[in-house]
Amino acid sequence: MDKKENNKSIFKSPYMFLVPPLLFYLFFWFFPVLISLIQAFTSIDGGFSLENFRMMFQDDLFAEAFFNTLIFASVSIVLQFILALSLALLINRKFKGSKMFLFIMLIPMAIPPSAVGILWNTGLIQTGWINSFLSITGVQNLMELMGIASGPVIWKQATGLQAVFMIILIDTWTVLPSVMIIILAGLQNFNEEYTEAAKVFGASRSQALRHIVLPIIKPTIITALLLRLISGLQVWLISVMIFGFNTVPFLLERIVFYTDQVRTGVYSYKLSVTYSIFVVVLVAVSAFAFVKLTKTKDWSGANE
Amino acid sequence: MSFLKLERVKKVYNKTIEAVKRFDLEIERGEFVVFLGPSGCGKSTIMRMIAGLETVTEGDILLNGKSIIHLEPKDRGISMIFQSYAVWPHMTVYGNVAYPLKLRKKTKEEVEEIVNEAAVICDIDQYLKRYPNQLSGGQRQRVAVARAIAVKPELFLMDEPLSNLDAKLRVSMRTDLKRIHQDLKSTSIFVTHDQSEALSLADRIVVMNHGYIEQIGTPNEIYHESESMFVARFIGSPPSNFLDVKVELEDNKVFLVHSTFKYEINNKFVKTLKGKYIGKTIVLAVRPENFTIGNKGIIKTKATIVEPQGSHIVINANIGDVEVKIVSPILDILPNQEIMVGFTESIGLFDKDTEKRIK
Repeated sequence: MDKKENNKSIFKSPYMFLVPPLLFYLFFWFFPVLISLIQAFTSIDGGFSLENFRMMFQDDLFAEAFFNTLIFASVSIVLQFILALSLALLINRKFKGSKMFLFIMLIPMAIPPSAVGILWNTGLIQTGWINSFLSITGVQNLMELMGIASGPVIWKQATGLQAVFMIILIDTWTVLPSVMIIILAGLQNFNEEYTEAAKVFGASRSQALRHIVLPIIKPTIITALLLRLISGLQVWLISVMIFGFNTVPFLLERIVFYTDQVRTGVYSYKLSVTYSIFVVVLVAVSAFAFVKLTKTKDWSGANE
Repeated sequence: MSFLKLERVKKVYNKTIEAVKRFDLEIERGEFVVFLGPSGCGKSTIMRMIAGLETVTEGDILLNGKSIIHLEPKDRGISMIFQSYAVWPHMTVYGNVAYPLKLRKKTKEEVEEIVNEAAVICDIDQYLKRYPNQLSGGQRQRVAVARAIAVKPELFLMDEPLSNLDAKLRVSMRTDLKRIHQDLKSTSIFVTHDQSEALSLADRIVVMNHGYIEQIGTPNEIYHESESMFVARFIGSPPSNFLDVKVELEDNKVFLVHSTFKYEINNKFVKTLKGKYIGKTIVLAVRPENFTIGNKGIIKTKATIVEPQGSHIVINANIGDVEVKIVSPILDILPNQEIMVGFTESIGLFDKDTEKRIK
């Protein structure tokens, strides 16, 4: 009788509800991560080895991929922060037509990444819409007069940092609305009386923005930028869509390249797994550093 | 020359909504003026125009004889207490009080001295290092007051500063505000919809309704000589009771006739009533405490509901088809008990058409 009661109580325990998610994490998170770790730290014969990491560091494009990734993540986060904040502040002023403006701004969010690639690809080819636009508006002539360009610009021949900056601009075009909308949400929750108090007590507009508004919505901004930092370190698709593999390397572009493009079996597989581990560590370290560096003093985010 | 002067001030939103239709007021230095009215009457809008947080559509606002309507809020020499307190959450209490002083380019020593002084006045000196979310509503309110007095303003604006506090704290805070005003003698404008707050704080009350001023006067004038039925209804808790009565002349005596009573008028009203109102229906306004209960009464009725208040009781009774509230010091009246109701001399009469007071 007692035993039966006991059995029943185990199944009635609230912890039973944790079983499905635990199973989920076990199969779809823990095992893959474990397997990747094992693969990365073992040689082909199965013993523990750092051989894969040596191979990765010696990869011809590793240094450039690493450098490009860092440049991309840091420049895009700054650029997107400044633009998103300005736009959010503008839209938050609720001028006539601000809702329409917001609507138009959000359109890039609705376009899937590969379509973004195609869109910009058709723009960046020599006879693409960007060059047409430049020539119709007369900017092309101006550029030629000033000696910046001779003949239509061949955008897709850009290499190195130029190419990275082009990708940054395209990425910014795509993700700006999502950053902006998080900051805008922060601003709309913001108690207007905080700013009004600042103005009454002697602050100019810009002082009120710098001393009152920004510090108070800082937690929101940090969240938005942290998300951007993480996905910035994982950039690859735009680069591949526009320049193809091996042209403007990024860390994640390497992973995709070695999993998808090279079919030399176990070596490239191990290389891509090792790159993955490297990216995971990079993302974790950067995110942690970002949160630490931007930490607000403890006022417990009382964003009332 | 008055200290603050508002001339024909008008505020229109979106070209159609008239929040303030016309507002004329002069305030002397050191006065405590309360803007009182129901929500949407334009009282906060007026205050925000004085602060510079709203533009003025028409008219002018003069401070010390100079127009201020084109000045930025920061250049007007005012300070303000907000309904939500607007105590900045990312600054300590000290930081909140000190920030306006820093903007005024005071030295560190001056700032410290002024903050400490203001903190002592507002009784928050033990919380200076705390953040606002570690304080109760009442303490935050005190921080807002300390911040406002620290800048030694020409003019002190308060926009429903007590409405977020619980009832008990509201009453004690209101005494504190009055004390601070008496000590500092700063000219103050206080916006509220709470008539008891207005009565207890104000030197003068400005009663507003639908964007107009209904009456300006001392608390006693507003209460005992309400200029309109709106004011009589808005002020007092419970408010005035209104009874429609007919003015009749018999043997050269003026009577107010109601279906349940006939009351002879023999004071200042006689002349006016004889002149204009014989045979007409007017409104008799009686404050709850201006009813009498006892043998001298002229109306026989029954107490329907009795609400004891400690020092007095509030009786609901029907006079004709109107339910009136009577405040009585006689504490032992029971529900359904028959009572004889009369009036004291302090009654008010209103014109039924214009709703204005008959003098």
